[in-house]
Amino acid sequence: MQAWSRKHTLITGVALILLTNAVALLGVAWNRSGDPESMLKLTQRELHQPNGDMSHDNSGMALKLAWRVAAADPESAINWSYAGAGGTPEWLDEAKMASLGFDLTETAHSKDIEGIERRRYRELSKEVLLVLELAGPAYEQFLESTRRYAVEAEAKIATNAESEAVMRQLKDLRERVTREDLENSRLFVVDAGLDMAVLRKNFPDRSRYAIVRGQVLPWSFGDNEKGKNKARGYIEGLSVDSINVPSDYRAGFEQEHRQPGITPSKSSPFEATVAFGQRLEPWIIDVSVAPK
Amino acid sequence: MNLPSRTSAQQRADDIWVFRQELARLETAGVLTLSEAQQQAVAAHHDGLLTGFTRSFDIDRDVRAKQLSWGMRIASFLGALALAASVFFLFYQFWGRFPETAQVAILIGASLGVFVTTVWIQGRDATGYFTKLAAMVAFVCFVLNVSMLGQIFNITPADKALLPWAAFALLLAYACDLRLLLAAGILCIIAFTAARAGTWSGMYWIHFGERPENFIPVSFALFFLPQVLRHRQRDDFPPIYRVFGLISLLLPVLILSNWGHGSYLPWEASVVEGFYQVCGFALSAAAIWLGLRRHWTETVNTGVTFFVIFLYTKFFDWWWQVMPKYLFFLILGLTAVLFLLVMKRLRQAGRQHEEAA
Repeated sequence: MQAWSRKHTLITGVALILLTNAVALLGVAWNRSGDPESMLKLTQRELHQPNGDMSHDNSGMALKLAWRVAAADPESAINWSYAGAGGTPEWLDEAKMASLGFDLTETAHSKDIEGIERRRYRELSKEVLLVLELAGPAYEQFLESTRRYAVEAEAKIATNAESEAVMRQLKDLRERVTREDLENSRLFVVDAGLDMAVLRKNFPDRSRYAIVRGQVLPWSFGDNEKGKNKARGYIEGLSVDSINVPSDYRAGFEQEHRQPGITPSKSSPFEATVAFGQRLEPWIIDVSVAPK
Repeated sequence: MNLPSRTSAQQRADDIWVFRQELARLETAGVLTLSEAQQQAVAAHHDGLLTGFTRSFDIDRDVRAKQLSWGMRIASFLGALALAASVFFLFYQFWGRFPETAQVAILIGASLGVFVTTVWIQGRDATGYFTKLAAMVAFVCFVLNVSMLGQIFNITPADKALLPWAAFALLLAYACDLRLLLAAGILCIIAFTAARAGTWSGMYWIHFGERPENFIPVSFALFFLPQVLRHRQRDDFPPIYRVFGLISLLLPVLILSNWGHGSYLPWEASVVEGFYQVCGFALSAAAIWLGLRRHWTETVNTGVTFFVIFLYTKFFDWWWQVMPKYLFFLILGLTAVLFLLVMKRLRQAGRQHEEAA
């Protein structure tokens, strides 16, 4: 057998580098081929710019997809439904989790607390398909329940006392409603599944609903001993939630990018058309930034 | 003369140096005096060997050369780290200003350029230090290449990227005789196989570290690989496989012996912990036994280290809360003394066995 020479090393190494790059780039080409699977027009509400933490050592720029989950009760919704923070939506119940391959029967109905705890530690997230809805019924419903909650809370607070603390609370509540109305992300996770075709059939509007990959984890809360336990799914994150901004579209963002401490809500309004391809990977195909 | 590797040549050169020193001592003590002709014959033979080794492998011929060699090795390692960091930050500093096509061309060009340069340097660098430095930079360029493609095109993160990294690290390790890259390649293989094992059990691959048992299957494969794949040219590589094999077996066992919730086994956490505590002692003792039997120093050392950690962890569980601290540490100290005595006995037994043989 011929001994391994430097020539062999050279050929093998070059082939490995080229093959790896070819596989990665063919995957990208396949993702971007044909009509995009979905295409959303997102604004600064749904795509957050780096929040002042970008070091000047990195000239690249990526926008963070601000996806949200509508919490079941209004109080949690108004206090905890932050973008990208995950959550346990009402629709991700025991039956839906079963369709995703999680058996929550024991967690939901057993009174063996130790067993449930043990199971909870052992359950890890799985990758599934998630449906993102842009400014649709989920957002409208969320906005409405936030408004209703604020009105009810205002009525409760106002009848109690007229102190400075109460005034601050009222101001805070109104600001939250305003933010929800004008600034917060309108991109909500509204469904999950394993079958792409079924999900697309249920959500046919490709300019409002994007199907992406994400992770779901079994979750339980409540009181098992009293039979009041609830087992649901927890949406942990999206597989790709950061979208690179190509150099052609960066000019408008440059000003913001260089100023540390700019919060997403204070950034210049922009609209970015984001396409999701055959592999459900996103890319920006157009950006228009409004002058400040 | 049939010396397959630089390590063997260096070992032989060290033996010659020790032989010469001992011969001088014996002559001074009047125990042994070689005739003039014998002295000349031995010296000529050894000089011939050393000249051959120096020409082929650039070995260290004396202590001073050895010390300088260590200095060069450290400088080469630090230089490689600094150059790799420089490449990394250089790209990050400017990549955002280029269009995607240029970014891709720069990434592929850098990987290819540094790799070809490494092979070119290898043909001209008898010492191997510059080759090793270039090889490490080539590996970093390739890792950067693949990970940046993911970032530029928003590719879904996947464990598959670990495979080409492992292949490239192993290629450079074997071509340039570089143990550091062998370790990097092995780590990529461990991560990939553990991620695959995790995926087969249904979890999202990135959580593979949360189930320590995912690492156990590959540990046996790594440990016994040098038995199947002979390393005649690279006789310093098998210990690296065995050490990483043992670490990827005993570290998960150590974690599970203290955190039973992380196991796939359908038992109570306390039962799982007890099971893995027993496994930990048995496996590290087996590693010591096998290492002594096969003269694998690194296996013995790794086994001893884990055995002591398992023992001290148990001591901590049992006595830290109930004992005064001075007594706790006294017991640890006495255990170490006991352990030394046992090892001494084992060494004596081994020596007697060799003498009898």
